[in-house]
Amino acid sequence: MQRSANTRKTISGIVFLLFLLLFAACITSARSYHKISEIRVNDDFIIVTVTTKDTFSSLAAEYLNDPSKGWLIAEFNHIKTLTAGQELIIPLFSFNKGGLKIGGYQTVPVLSYYRLSINKPSKIAITQDDFKAQMKYLKDNGYHVITLDQLLGFLDYQEQLPEKSVVITFDDGWISVYDIALPILKEYGFPATIFIYTDFVGGGKAMSWNHIKELSQAGFDIQCQTKTHRNLAVLKNKESFREYFDSLEMEISYPKKLIETKLNKECNCLAYPYGKTNNLVIAMLKKHGYRAAFTVDNKSNPFFIDKYKISRSPIYGKYDIEKFKNKLSVFQDMELK
Amino acid sequence: MKRLFTICFVLLVLFFFTGCAGVWEFFGDIADKLSEKKSEKAPESTKVLPASYYLEKAGQYEENEELQTALVYLQIAGRLDPDSTKIHEKIASLKSAIDQKAGQHFTTGVTFYKTRKFEDARKQFLTTLRYAPGHKEALDYLKNALHPKEYRTYKVEDKDTIKDISEKFYKDPSKEFLIAYFNNLKTDSKLASDTMLKLPILEPEINRPSIHISAELAKAETLLKEKRYPEVLGVSEKILEYDPLNQKASDLKNAAYYQIGLELSGQKNYPEAMKMFKKVTPVYQGVNEAMQEAINKELLKAESLLKQKQYEQALAVAGKILDYDKSNTAVQNLINTAFCQQARNLIIRKNYTEALHVLSKADPEYDCVKKTTSDVYTAKKKQAEVHYLNGVKHFLNEELQSAIKEWEKALVLNPEHQKAKKNISNARSLLEKLKKVK
Repeated sequence: MQRSANTRKTISGIVFLLFLLLFAACITSARSYHKISEIRVNDDFIIVTVTTKDTFSSLAAEYLNDPSKGWLIAEFNHIKTLTAGQELIIPLFSFNKGGLKIGGYQTVPVLSYYRLSINKPSKIAITQDDFKAQMKYLKDNGYHVITLDQLLGFLDYQEQLPEKSVVITFDDGWISVYDIALPILKEYGFPATIFIYTDFVGGGKAMSWNHIKELSQAGFDIQCQTKTHRNLAVLKNKESFREYFDSLEMEISYPKKLIETKLNKECNCLAYPYGKTNNLVIAMLKKHGYRAAFTVDNKSNPFFIDKYKISRSPIYGKYDIEKFKNKLSVFQDMELK
Repeated sequence: MKRLFTICFVLLVLFFFTGCAGVWEFFGDIADKLSEKKSEKAPESTKVLPASYYLEKAGQYEENEELQTALVYLQIAGRLDPDSTKIHEKIASLKSAIDQKAGQHFTTGVTFYKTRKFEDARKQFLTTLRYAPGHKEALDYLKNALHPKEYRTYKVEDKDTIKDISEKFYKDPSKEFLIAYFNNLKTDSKLASDTMLKLPILEPEINRPSIHISAELAKAETLLKEKRYPEVLGVSEKILEYDPLNQKASDLKNAAYYQIGLELSGQKNYPEAMKMFKKVTPVYQGVNEAMQEAINKELLKAESLLKQKQYEQALAVAGKILDYDKSNTAVQNLINTAFCQQARNLIIRKNYTEALHVLSKADPEYDCVKKTTSDVYTAKKKQAEVHYLNGVKHFLNEELQSAIKEWEKALVLNPEHQKAKKNISNARSLLEKLKKVK
C-alpha cells in the first residue's frame, strides 16, 4: 500500500513539474497583452502602444512572425529606439520593395572575397585582422548582412531589405575561408555565400567536399563558379566556336548538378570567373535554370539591375577600413519627384 | 491527491489542444474577469492618439511628396474617426492624386524610352513606382525593356531551314547547332512557317568576323564625308551583319539613308525620299520633319490631281503616303472624296454597279460615302421606273416583246418592282395565247 502511494506521489509530482515547466515556457513566449491596445487599420497596418517589455525584435516576432524584421517597423516609423507608451504603426507587408525615396533609391553592395591569410595580404588574399575589422565595422555601423536569397527577393521586387544591407561572398573555395573567415562570420552571426569551381575542390589549398558540406549544413550558401574557372566570355587561342560552345555547356551544367548532388541543395546562382560574361553565356544560364549571376563591376546594386549582371566589389590585398567604407554604398541620389 | 492529478491532467490536455497562447489567453480571460485591473504586462497607456494627430502627420507627408505614407496616416485617421466624411474625401482625393502623378511620370518615361533616352526614362519609371509601388508597366520597363536582350527573335519564312537562318543571321551556316540548341530542335528539324525562334546575339569577340570592324567603320565615315551614301550603306550594313549591336554602324546607316532621302526630296522625288526616311530610326535628328515635308508635298500633288478629276492617279499618290503615315486624316479624307466623286460620275453615266463597286473600296463611315451610296440606290430606283413606264408605252402599242425587255431592265435595277414582275407574267401569257390563236 505504502509503496503504491509513494509511486502515485512520485508520478503526480513529475506530472506537476512537467506542467509547471511547460507553463513557464508559455509565460515567456506568449504575448497577448497588445491585443487590448492594438488597432487594425486594414490588412496592411496595425497600430500598437509600446510597453516597457517591447523591442523591435519582439514586435516583429509578434506581428510579422519574424523577429529579424524589427528594422521594418523602425524604418516605417523613422525611429531607432522605442519608448513605452508611444504609438507605433506596424506595417504588415514590405511597404517599400525597391527602397525608393524622394531623394533616390537603395543599392546593395555585394562584397567579393577570395583568400584570407593570417598576416600577409596578397593579390587575392586579405589578412585575418583586416577581415575581422571589416566585419566589426559592419556590425558597429548598423549594416545588415543579408543572404543571397534575400538579395534576389529584392531584385525580383518581392522583398524589402533593411536600408543598410550588404551581401558577403567568397570565390573559388579556398581552405582559408573555412579556417579563417568562417569563425569570424559565426562570431558576428553573418551569412555568406561561397562560389566554388568544382575542379578546385579537394586541391592543395582548397576546401574538400567535407568542408563544403559542413559549411552548407552550418547555413552557408554554396553556389557555383563553373567547373574549371575558364573565362567564359572569350574563345581560347585556336579554340573553334563549336569547342567553345561545348566548353560553356560543360562549365555551366556540370558544376550545378554536382553541387546539387553533393549537398542536396539547389544551386541556382553563378559567379562569372574574372567577372566576365556575354550574351551566349547568359542565354545558356537561363536555359539551365540559373536565377542570377555575378560580375565584379565594383558597383552597388539597385533592384532594377539585370539579374545576370549583378555587380560585386572585389576585396583583396591590403584593405583598411577607409578603403572598405567606399565599397559600402547603400543609396544612389536621384530626385524622384 | 486524485483531484490534483485530475487538474494537472486537464491543464495538460488544455495545453496540447490550444497551445501556449491559448493557455495564456485562457488564464488571461479568467484574470480579467476576476479583476478589472490590467496585468503588469499591459501597456502603460492604452489611450490612442486622436485622429487629428494622424491627419496632421498625413498633411506633413503630403507636403513632402511622400504620398504613400501620407495615405497610410490618412487611413489611420479614417479608422479612428470613421464618421468623418472630410477624412474619407481626403483619402479619395489623395488616391486620385497618386494615380495622376504616377500616370504622368509613366507617360513621360515611355516618351523618353521611345526616343532612346534610357536614363531619363529610367528616372521617370522609378518616380512612377515611388508614387505607385504596384505600377506593373513601370516595373516591366525597369526590369525588362531597359535591359539589352541577349536574344533576337526570328519569324520563320517559307522553306527556311535552320542552316539558312544560321547563314542569314550569323553569316555562318555551321552555327545551325546553336539555333537548334536554344530552340529545343534538331539541326535537321523541319520548321513551320511563322514559328518564332530565339537566336542569341553573338558579340564579335566570339563570332569572329571575316572583316576588320574598326577599319570598316573608318572607311564608312570617310565615305559619308565624301557624300558617297550608297557606299556608306553597303559598308555599315556589312558591319551590322557581324555585329548587330554596333551603334556606330547603325548611326552611319541612318545618316546615309537620311542624306539620300534629302537628295531625293531636292529632286522632288518625294515617294522615293519617303522610302529612304522610313528606313531611318525615328529618333534620328531631323528625319521626322523631313518625312513630314515630303508627305505634305505629295498630299498637295494628290489634291491637285483630284481637282483635275484624275481620280486613279490621285488615289495612287495618296495610297503611297498612307504606306508611311497610316493615320494621316487629310489623306484619308482625300481618298474617300476621290471614291465618292468617281461614284457620282458613274451615277451620271448610269453605271450603278460600278459606282457601288468603287464605293465598296471607301470607308463606309464617311458621310460622303454614306450619301453617295444612298444616291446610287435612289438613282437605280428612278431609272427602274423609267424602264417600267417605257414598258407600259410599248404594251399599249401592242409591242409585247419590247415591253417585256423594258420591264426586265426595270427588274434588274429594282428586283422588288412588283408591277414589273406582274406585267412580265401577264405579257408572256398573252404572247402564249396569241401564239395559239395564230
